[in-house]
Amino acid sequence: MRLLLAAAALLALLPFGLPPYAMTLLTEALILGLFAMSLDLMVGYARLISFGHAAAYGFGAYASGNFLLHTSMPLPCAVLLAGLLGGIVAIGVGWVCTQATGISFSMLTLAYAQLLYAVAFKWTPVTGASDGLAGIPRNPGPFGVTWWSTHAGFYYLTLAFLLGAFVFCRQLVRSPFGAVLRGIRENEAKTIALGYNTRRYKIAIVAISFGVAGLAGALYAPFAGFANTELLFWLLSGQVLIMVIVGGAGTLVGPVLGAMFFLYVQQKLSSYTDSWALFFGVIFILFVLFMPEGIWGLIQSRFKQKTV
Amino acid sequence: MDFLPFLVTQCLNALSQAALLFFLGCGLTLIFGIMRIVNFAHGAFFMLGAYVGYSTVHWTGNFWTALIAAPILVGGFGAAFELGILRRLYGRDGHAFLMVTFGLTLVMGEVIRLIWGVEALQVKPPESLSDIVFILDEPFPVYRLFLAGAGIVVALVIWQFLERTRLGLLIRATSQNAEMVHALGTDVRLVRSAVFGIGCGLAGIGGVMAAPLVTASLGMAPNAVIDTFVIVIIGGMGSFLGSLIGAVLVAFVQVFGTYYFPDFALAFMYLIMVTVLVVRPGGLLGKEA
Amino acid sequence: MALLELDDLTKRYGGIVAVDHVTMRIEAGEVRAVIGPNGAGKTSLFHLITGVVKATEGSVRFADQDVSALPAHVRCQRGMSRTFQLTSLFPEMSARENTRLAAQARDAKRWMPLGGGAVFQSAAQRGDAALERLGLTHVAGRPAGLLSHGDQRLLEVAMALAQQPRLLLLDEPTQGLSVEETAQAVEVLSALFASGELTVLLVEHDMEVVFRLAHKITVLHRGSVIADGDPDTVKADEGVQNAYLGGFA
Repeated sequence: MRLLLAAAALLALLPFGLPPYAMTLLTEALILGLFAMSLDLMVGYARLISFGHAAAYGFGAYASGNFLLHTSMPLPCAVLLAGLLGGIVAIGVGWVCTQATGISFSMLTLAYAQLLYAVAFKWTPVTGASDGLAGIPRNPGPFGVTWWSTHAGFYYLTLAFLLGAFVFCRQLVRSPFGAVLRGIRENEAKTIALGYNTRRYKIAIVAISFGVAGLAGALYAPFAGFANTELLFWLLSGQVLIMVIVGGAGTLVGPVLGAMFFLYVQQKLSSYTDSWALFFGVIFILFVLFMPEGIWGLIQSRFKQKTV
Repeated sequence: MDFLPFLVTQCLNALSQAALLFFLGCGLTLIFGIMRIVNFAHGAFFMLGAYVGYSTVHWTGNFWTALIAAPILVGGFGAAFELGILRRLYGRDGHAFLMVTFGLTLVMGEVIRLIWGVEALQVKPPESLSDIVFILDEPFPVYRLFLAGAGIVVALVIWQFLERTRLGLLIRATSQNAEMVHALGTDVRLVRSAVFGIGCGLAGIGGVMAAPLVTASLGMAPNAVIDTFVIVIIGGMGSFLGSLIGAVLVAFVQVFGTYYFPDFALAFMYLIMVTVLVVRPGGLLGKEA
Repeated sequence: MALLELDDLTKRYGGIVAVDHVTMRIEAGEVRAVIGPNGAGKTSLFHLITGVVKATEGSVRFADQDVSALPAHVRCQRGMSRTFQLTSLFPEMSARENTRLAAQARDAKRWMPLGGGAVFQSAAQRGDAALERLGLTHVAGRPAGLLSHGDQRLLEVAMALAQQPRLLLLDEPTQGLSVEETAQAVEVLSALFASGELTVLLVEHDMEVVFRLAHKITVLHRGSVIADGDPDTVKADEGVQNAYLGGFA
């Protein structure tokens, strides 16, 4: 607990004395961290492997993009609403996908993402087709606040969402609901035999996961100022899964670290070579083979050994 | 347009599509039969075949060379990957396989992007196949006829290979009872590597043949793996005949569906997949769900 | 009114009849053993009663209500708890967490996404009580996967008990246990059943266990009931002796 408060304080103080471009990078890291954390709910806590999580992210981005472009809705409200919308739509998606289990489930998530990707190219009024949405403003408010237009303002908004979502997710996985998820993860047949309607729990976690991912996407749109089909592309789904596994699935913190690591390496490597994404793919395979608990998982188990 | 010529041309269309889908489905089902894993990277191997085909045509100017080179290169790479990496995973749970083959898809996607770029690439079919014939007064590309024919030929070849050759027998035996085959003295690991290579090689052929029709692009991988998965689910995991039937069924639905509802092609696949998974998770002819 | 009523319960798999027109009545407070040679259909019968498998014909009535169409998790909520032939636990959770999760399933607020401290507390109480009755308190903190096989079988019973069921179904609880472990398990179970509060349906292979624990015995052979009654009657039954001696290859 103290570790986390320290981390939160660190993140809060970090912007002071940082050049704008570093702050922009940090903001993007937090957004990706939120995105990765949302996937951890499905992958790490319920063992529902989604290959199409970009669908939730892109959905959130297009939703908030539309809200901000076509209405004068305040920025935080647009983000929240987009996330909520994503979560609600995901109830239906979750219902369909949980008809199947195992790899069939994963294939369905991928198919859904591909479907959204294709739809985005055609639904011009909402998505701007292959051009996407551009010039997404950071609407002021509520109460006329225009802080979001500054680097620092947007950073703190993102940090607030990340910390808020983190606290929420942490409570969720430690709640009775979370205990059932754990049962599903370790032995679904037994969980059903105990009398739990596991399907409902799975649908619920899919909806929550998509909703939080939607928040991340909804933050990205005003952050970057645009939203396009790249945000729904399958390679992005892959990258966020890599962040979760490399960071440490089932820890909530791990994926956030994974996202930061990912972005850091991307920045450092992309000045030398174009193949940083390839590097990550290889790292991913190595981690699955040799270090499946991820970076944070490894740190946690070392830490437990020390205190025992 | 008269109905009969329309029906005939669309059926031929569907058959050519079925051929492509069959290459994919057959490979995946063979791999599943032996290894009890779904090769998530199958779509990526298909994609790789298309790109390798493109480059081979580019360098040699000869489509037929590509047709031979692509499956060998792609299949070889597949076998190498199985030897080097997948072998380590046989003791672990199914998720590890899924993750690793998924990781492979990503890696291949990035490699292809680095080497060939993000633009879709045109591959020209050979001169001899670029013509149009008239069937019942309707124009129809010769290349599609070639595809349909190639599909039939390959299906026959594989069928005979499985039935008559020693390796084919080993493959069928291993898919039923790997331990027994091992006890009888065969190194099952070699059979596995061979099958993985053959399966990927088939996907590679599919890619080369598909390239002149659909152009080589990065979006091929996820769509191909979804299509393939649907086919194999319909026909049954591990069933060669099932992959044939599944390919034909899906191809017909796709072709006629796309004609009547052109914007909903992808939605169709999704719908088919959901329906099949809900109604018959074990497939029509399959061994395991 | 019997607690559990099976009428003409039948299950066919293609040409094979796994359960053949089984009719049974189990009264509240009874301990009934179901025995029979391998392949007699005992586990299939359990699956039909608990709803894991749907019957081809016949009905299951529980507490005077027809549950034949209800899915497994609903029947469990109505008060049926079962253990499995092959040990099925949550291996990474501690024994305490296992029974707590089992007990939690009975709480109306079991799905609470936030807070839920009260839910955990009351579930832990019932879970711990069950652990104690099965003599497992000393291993409560250990991960279930690391317990001895005997303790794991007992933990499964504890989990079922933690749900405070009306009907407890035990599928071969002494499966795979050594002679000492079996004796120990029988002691524990015997004490458990002595109170008479539980209604138990027990599948067992070990005859000594059956004669120690059961009030009545039902014998299955090739899916149908060939004998039904108190232990002495069944012991003497000719049909039963044929089935066991004649059917043994």
